[in-house]
Amino acid sequence: MTRVLVPLAILEGESVSPGLTTLLEPVDVTVLGYHVVPEQTPPDQARLQYEDRATAALEDLAATFRTAGTSADHRLVFTHDREQTIDRTAAETGTDATAVTGASGRIDRILVALTGDVAVDRIVRFVAALIDDREIGVTLLLATDDAGRDAGGELLETAAGGLSSRGIDVETELVVDAPTVESLLEAAADHDAIVVGERTPSLRSLVLGEEADRIAVESVAPVLVIRDVDGPPAADDA
Amino acid sequence: MDGASPSTEGTNIEGESPETEPTTETDEATITDDAELERTLGLTGGLAIGIGTMIGAGIFVFPGLAAGRAGPAAAGSFAIGAAVALLVALPASELATAMPKSGGGYYFISRALGALAGAVVGLSLWFGLVFATAFYLVGFGYYAVDTLAELGIAVGEGLVIPVALLFGAGFTVLNVTGTENAAKLQNGIVALLLSILVTFLAYGSLDAVGLVGEPAAPERFAPFGAMPVLTTAALVFTSYLGFAQVATVAGEMRNPGRNLPLAMVGSVLVVGVLYVVTIFVATSAFGSEALAGFGETAMVEVGRHYLGAAGAFAIVFGGLLATMSSANASILSTSRAIYAVSRDALLPKRASRINLRYGTPHVALGLAGGPILVLTATGQVELLAEVASFLHLIMYGLICVALIALRRNEPAWYDPDFRVPGYPFVPILGAITSFAMLGFMQPASQLVGVGIMIATAGWYAYYARDVSLRGEL
Repeated sequence: MTRVLVPLAILEGESVSPGLTTLLEPVDVTVLGYHVVPEQTPPDQARLQYEDRATAALEDLAATFRTAGTSADHRLVFTHDREQTIDRTAAETGTDATAVTGASGRIDRILVALTGDVAVDRIVRFVAALIDDREIGVTLLLATDDAGRDAGGELLETAAGGLSSRGIDVETELVVDAPTVESLLEAAADHDAIVVGERTPSLRSLVLGEEADRIAVESVAPVLVIRDVDGPPAADDA
Repeated sequence: MDGASPSTEGTNIEGESPETEPTTETDEATITDDAELERTLGLTGGLAIGIGTMIGAGIFVFPGLAAGRAGPAAAGSFAIGAAVALLVALPASELATAMPKSGGGYYFISRALGALAGAVVGLSLWFGLVFATAFYLVGFGYYAVDTLAELGIAVGEGLVIPVALLFGAGFTVLNVTGTENAAKLQNGIVALLLSILVTFLAYGSLDAVGLVGEPAAPERFAPFGAMPVLTTAALVFTSYLGFAQVATVAGEMRNPGRNLPLAMVGSVLVVGVLYVVTIFVATSAFGSEALAGFGETAMVEVGRHYLGAAGAFAIVFGGLLATMSSANASILSTSRAIYAVSRDALLPKRASRINLRYGTPHVALGLAGGPILVLTATGQVELLAEVASFLHLIMYGLICVALIALRRNEPAWYDPDFRVPGYPFVPILGAITSFAMLGFMQPASQLVGVGIMIATAGWYAYYARDVSLRGEL
């Protein structure tokens, strides 16, 4: 079964848009309510004071997903480090993708970027499970340099074939020699949600923030980031 | 290492009872019924807390004072302190891996020896940290005034206390309004300090053994006999209070079974070696009498002696950073100590409230900051340091006793990842040496220390007599 993790800053009133709830209908959802406390506060001290409030809010959110027909559970974490909490929970729940909530109403067409370090067949499988048998169109986007033009085109065709054989309406877009994120954002304007593959952190992502977060902030749409399960494990000084 | 926690029962005078829940500890998180607590500190973070708290006071404030009392044998006093700290760090490590929760020494003692011992230790720890922080702040004041002097602005020692008060208030406010990335900053400061010291000590040691520079006048190692060495050890023990602070963040440390013992024992070893070498170098540079004359900032003159103005500046700068990091780390530990006792209903629950705007425990930080400022105003360096040591040594001795009590009749939940080598000799020796050091302190410090303990016992009898915290032994 396909599982999507939806992390929310629960005590800051972060919530899910109706569009995202609809989009995630066919898959399993884990709502991760987290609360980041500053270093001078033990997480347990925050738990004692806010656990009830946070649990109530989380149960409401999970119920919203269930009315839409989704199988949803929830977890509550008090932490000093948001990224670490999301990574750990994703690994423990066997999540396929993590959602960055955005604003969205009706979902008609989603943009799927074949970027990042996630294998294309994994992206295709996820998108197929996400769309299920609904009337949602897919635009596949691949950005490459001039040398990769032919290989990129082939990859796009294979991926598109995989999706259309399941009865999904697919369009493809090959972007050559243009900045990836910028072309993605340009294409995103006509779409209601975005699916991207996770990237191993680069210098660029350290400076500009996670690529997915940047896309989410600038496109305002919900973004699903497919986890790179085969990638190198995160650096750990434990 | 999962399983039930020790049981608690009873209520305090306001009808509040200890907040405990069965928890499961994994390497990555603590899992309670409805929530998870992420473990976010690594080994580096743990070492930085231990070393960062310890390195400030002893190395920058004590050399002059200690040399005046014990002569070159002050290095021996620091070695004795390190040995005692190590004897306690080992049992504390075992207890911390068995109970990797916030609260540290207080938690172990209250669960092994009961609520009265817990209340005395927990509340005394609060005051112990308050005294220690005041001591660090006064040290900071001396270094701040010296920094101005190095820059050509002589303001005199009259400004030491006002500067210390100003910064004490500043740290408290900073901690209430949130110091994002304070831990990363602390790591940076510790790394910088270590490199300054190691460079300086490497050069100083070569000089001291006569390989470079001119040989120093030979001096009798212990001109005042053995007794001053022991009393000085009691005085400078404040330099080793930091390792127990690692246990107070045990609940936030990743892979606690491995990282807690490494961080505690490692920070004692690193700091102990640095201290002993520093005192050796300092007394070789000047002779203990001259060193004593320089007072709290004697290290600046040692730096000048070896490396000229640059050396003096490096030490002044290091001293500022170090006393600052010690003071800040201790203010944080104080608020954690208050949280631990209020969670167990030994203080009103209000004391550990968090404000929603900054997410910080403002009441506890206030309960730390207020008394710290009052004590800083006294400016009594030696008394502040000794009372801090006194109250901590009581806790250290009882940690060893707690270990023996738990080991003699191991409860089902007791399953430490790390076991003390040389049991029962190490904890027995740790308890004896900790309590013995109390005897070498000035009567005034002993009196204040005992007074605080009696007051805390009285508070327990009045406020929380019915609270029981002992584990199922």
